[in-house]
Amino acid sequence: MDKKETEFLDEIKSKFKVDGKIQRKQRIWLSTDENKLVEIGKWLKDRGFVHLSAVSVTDWLEEGKYEITYHLWSYDDKILVTVKTKIDRTNPAIDSVAQIWKENAQIHERELHELFGVKFKGNQDLFPLFLDDWQGPAPFRKDFDWRDYVRGEFYDEENEREKVYYD
Amino acid sequence: MIEEMKSAPKGSEYDLYFGPAHPGSGNFGVKLKIDGEKVVSARADPGYLHRGFEKLMEYRTPIQNAVLSDRICILEPLNWNLIHAEAVDELMDIDVPERAKYLRVIMAELSRIQSHIIWYGVFSKGIGFDTGFKMAFGYRDYILDLFELITGGRVYPAGYICPGGVRRDFPKNAKEKILKVIDKINDMIKLEELENPSMDARAKGVGILKVEDAIRLGATGPVLRGSGMNTDVRKDEPYEIYDRLDFEVPIRKEGDAYARYWIGIEEMKESIKIVKQALENLPMGNVIVSNFKKPKLNVKIPEGEVYIRNEVARGEAAVYMVSDGGSNPYRCKIRGPDFLHMIPVLEYLLKGVQIADVPAIYWSLNICPADMDR
Repeated sequence: MDKKETEFLDEIKSKFKVDGKIQRKQRIWLSTDENKLVEIGKWLKDRGFVHLSAVSVTDWLEEGKYEITYHLWSYDDKILVTVKTKIDRTNPAIDSVAQIWKENAQIHERELHELFGVKFKGNQDLFPLFLDDWQGPAPFRKDFDWRDYVRGEFYDEENEREKVYYD
Repeated sequence: MIEEMKSAPKGSEYDLYFGPAHPGSGNFGVKLKIDGEKVVSARADPGYLHRGFEKLMEYRTPIQNAVLSDRICILEPLNWNLIHAEAVDELMDIDVPERAKYLRVIMAELSRIQSHIIWYGVFSKGIGFDTGFKMAFGYRDYILDLFELITGGRVYPAGYICPGGVRRDFPKNAKEKILKVIDKINDMIKLEELENPSMDARAKGVGILKVEDAIRLGATGPVLRGSGMNTDVRKDEPYEIYDRLDFEVPIRKEGDAYARYWIGIEEMKESIKIVKQALENLPMGNVIVSNFKKPKLNVKIPEGEVYIRNEVARGEAAVYMVSDGGSNPYRCKIRGPDFLHMIPVLEYLLKGVQIADVPAIYWSLNICPADMDR
């Protein structure tokens, strides 16, 4: 294990209340509370994590939570830090990080708003990105079944030729 | 009368829809607001190729997903095969055979070369240099022939690079053929490097991206290196065998369309160096771990999460894979480089340019709508 990973983890643990582990070389995973997120994000950006590689949502259906992950890369330290936070999945809302990582974060949040229905408070432009005229629920949620939707919307069980889709 | 004319909308303002069915643009459009000859603002309109891979992968096992991962980017399927395979390898703690690592790198680099050739082709097309377009697609076919020989598919390798190694070993004549094709590619590079008046006139000083803007907008790969940042995932966190290979990372300070085009050519030379080294040192042995040779159904992926980064031809590509211990991945987030190049970077660069410069900027970003929409 490299020294810089342990140094970084000690540094952030002394400043904020976070759980963290070193997975392997150049990979650190942190989990934190949702209201600490912006504060930690600002500190990380100043610490050199200028590149927001990706933002993702994992839908933990049984637990009733959305897990939002921010994958950050530092060009100086050459380590990837993932910050994870859990929010309620029934009415998902979280503070936007677009004030920190600007346009980069803005576009990632716009995508996730469309696919998971997460409301990013403070993000000005959450206009749909990929799906035109989509009226249904957020399509990447675990409780939304594409196959059921397509069968219900586009096929007819009574029709001889389309029966096969219902077996 | 004069008052009326002053308050009426200016006759010189209009909207222009750039795309989405141009042969070089791919399935992607940009809505431009234009005043006379000048672009006032640009708004990207993606979604024509949205197939929802992230969701599709949640319904399928890793072996099925290996085949599916081809389609993420049409122009470099082998690189996306590799990222997916690496994510599953790390989750399942598979020790990939040494020979397979070499084969993976050879295929990934050949794929990068053909992708850069397409880039040169569509960029030439964009600036009105049709000879370049035809030349590029002609030379690219030599590499496609190699892919057909090795993987069975010309464009889509059908999961050739799969979890546990690669599907099958190289045929006996593969090494000799690869070296022959590399000679052809060297000819192509010589042609590309010739002084080209249309390239000089249309690409130099156009679409300048400063390094701090590039980082803010999330640019990676050739776009970021064209702005003067020394970064490459193959050097920063070497995967497979890249730490044992000798290659350079080309960098250019100007940040204009010409600099990005120049990076593409230099990277092809470096990729050729890598392929030659890997072929020289290719060890003998298995190419796939035994329990993946004939994949069993319902192989469970151990619980965990990984974030894999790779350098593909267009920049940084990544997969974030989460498993809850089932046979399908629980979540598979795909991060394509063009998601950022084609929306924030393109919108930023097009603002305020002349309408005639739009194609040069558009194609200098090496764009591929497929990995943006996913």
